[in-house]
Amino acid sequence: MGSASSVSAPARLLALFALAPLAVLLGLAIGPDPAALRAAAPLVHREGGYIGSGSCLACHPDQHASWSRTYHATMTQRPEPQRVRGRFDGAELAYLDQRAVPLERAGKFIFRIDDGVRAREAEVAKLVGSRRYQQYFERIGTGEDDASFRRLPWLWHIEAERWLHVNTIFLGPDDATPDAHLSRWNENCIFCHNTAPRPGMEIDRAPAEARFDSEVAELGIACEACHGPGAAHAARHRDPLARYLQSAEADPTLVDPARLDASRASAVCGQCHAQRLPDPAQRIRDFLTKGPSYRPGDRLEDHVKPLQRDTPPLPGASEHLFADRFWADGTPRLSAYEYQGMLSSPCFRGGELSCLSCHAMHRGDPEAQLAPEKPGDALCTSCHAEIGRDVAAHTKHAPDSPGSRCVECHMPRIAYGILDLHRSHRIEVPDPKRDAELARPNACTLCHLDRSSLWAVSERARLWGLDATPPASRGDGAPLELPDALAQLLSGDAVQRAVAARAFGRPDAATPARERAAQVTALLLTLGDGYPSIRWIAKRSLEQLEAQLSLGLGAELAQFDTLRGLDERRRRLEILLEALARRAPARFDAPRADDPMLAPDFRWKRERVLPLLDLQTAKSRILSIGE
Amino acid sequence: MSHDPHLLRTVRTGFVLLALSLPLGLTLEALHAWKVEVYLGSALRRELWTLAHAHGNLLGLLLLVFGSLGERWMPSEAARARAARALRLGAVAMPLGFFLGGVMNREGDPSLGIALVPLGGLALLYALLCAARASRAA
Repeated sequence: MGSASSVSAPARLLALFALAPLAVLLGLAIGPDPAALRAAAPLVHREGGYIGSGSCLACHPDQHASWSRTYHATMTQRPEPQRVRGRFDGAELAYLDQRAVPLERAGKFIFRIDDGVRAREAEVAKLVGSRRYQQYFERIGTGEDDASFRRLPWLWHIEAERWLHVNTIFLGPDDATPDAHLSRWNENCIFCHNTAPRPGMEIDRAPAEARFDSEVAELGIACEACHGPGAAHAARHRDPLARYLQSAEADPTLVDPARLDASRASAVCGQCHAQRLPDPAQRIRDFLTKGPSYRPGDRLEDHVKPLQRDTPPLPGASEHLFADRFWADGTPRLSAYEYQGMLSSPCFRGGELSCLSCHAMHRGDPEAQLAPEKPGDALCTSCHAEIGRDVAAHTKHAPDSPGSRCVECHMPRIAYGILDLHRSHRIEVPDPKRDAELARPNACTLCHLDRSSLWAVSERARLWGLDATPPASRGDGAPLELPDALAQLLSGDAVQRAVAARAFGRPDAATPARERAAQVTALLLTLGDGYPSIRWIAKRSLEQLEAQLSLGLGAELAQFDTLRGLDERRRRLEILLEALARRAPARFDAPRADDPMLAPDFRWKRERVLPLLDLQTAKSRILSIGE
Repeated sequence: MSHDPHLLRTVRTGFVLLALSLPLGLTLEALHAWKVEVYLGSALRRELWTLAHAHGNLLGLLLLVFGSLGERWMPSEAARARAARALRLGAVAMPLGFFLGGVMNREGDPSLGIALVPLGGLALLYALLCAARASRAA
């Protein structure tokens, strides 16, 4: 018995030791598999080697966390209460004859819409955007094999905390057409707001009856959008021995953009930050069925042709379809063309610039995703070290002034997008002569707001010894002697006006605030612009000036709603102009006798200004571009 | 070594707890080594099972200490028996609750097995009170 007991004791101990591993195996076998659950979610595919960011989390928690805090991660979401930013409080919204009531019912987010044609209810099925504004989509597809979603006409502006009608966020005139911009998610947003999209369009149907069996590897821009499909990488690294034996060289099963050459690294960003067409264009059918063929590490131009000013328009489209999206010299003037801008920069053409020279996806401020180790000018002076050693010698401006900030001169805010103006990604030397002749905003006069192009040319010649030949005329037809930004605002086309309206509100402009009465008046007149997005930018600039100058217009400004009808806006505008004329003498220096805009009593000179406004309507075509 | 049956049982339970919790730790490390996603992919399961492993080991050691030294500062056999029972109960319930909580868990919540954790916590608290009172009386 003694020996039997001595045998059974180790056996019992062994059984005890084995109990925990067996319990773990049993627990894993009967418990839910998170990867399988994610793969089984609606709209999700696992083809082409995609596995989803949840699988990356298991081994790369830090990278997953740094990505999760970016707006890429929340680009497209399901309408869960904690993700919905809009105020679904039952208050009525109105724009022209469009009406809607956003409300929450039984955990669902609903719009009661009356577009002047019919009244209906639409349930929010998808959210797009999480930084500037959030857009809402309803499901219009019926049946399991038709996952079609359509944009609803109202969106929530996150910063301003208010609803906007979708027709008012484009650079286009007021438009009461209910479905002017009610595009389908499946053939538009899906491409750049999700990972590995497959639109799944049934191509044999007429466009109006199109059905989509759309799927994505993941909603939003996730790990595999930039690193490529992860299945092979995950499989290879499941074996711990193989992992530790792997050399420090690049892993061939996954793309690390930081290890790519500048062109291919930038293409990773360019797959979305470059409006583009399939190349050849006939491949559009492949795009609408199987999705883009580009994968990280490829040359982007092997798959698509990034749009340029001279890209031929699509059959049946306006000849200006693509040209309108660029300034006359080919510089992009809308956002989502950053790739084209960067590629045309001397720093890329003659150097090694890539998107990753300045941007870091896993570090720094999620707003701009700039590399935190290169604060401010260091983004440029990390390469241009000789300039960094004596900034003022290069800039001819005080070292601590905006004129000495690299981006102010070389990357001015001249690209419109999402109700704001963004920095041009074509890094270049300012050329006021070229810009005046081509009706393009100029970096010098976007800061020196009271100066003309003629002044900018002569200063450029004086300070840097460059060509002093003045422009022959202005491309927008305004007089050359007029302050350039003012001319752009009054006589320019929609993008020029938007750029100037934004610049007039900047607190760091070279023109002293007390001398900016003319700009304030011009901004007030811009509240009468026929384009609601320009009115929006002008109002925001006025609010900034109000904060700087205490103009005493705050109450009247708050009453001015850029979405209201023409009569109401006109009434409010007259109140504002009158209030400014009353209060201006205490806050501004008196206008000079030859001031192009203002009489000595601070009232605007109709006889001078109206012809400039006529130039705007007579010369510029109606634009409707740029969300 | 004490001959108090309650303390002997406590020591045995401590060894059993260690014999379960140490291999549990090794198993979890193996799941990490082989990147087993059904474990690594669930942050809640990882946390709960890690807690099960940690609590099992620490409470196992506590049982060994109590079983070895309890007689010195708890002369009352009745008090020792009460404290030892509560300690054993709590030391088993708590890691078991963490483990079961991570078995059939949803994405945001542990499974119902987690209910054993507060019960175990209460039992441990009761054991502490018994021991404190008994040692004060001594």
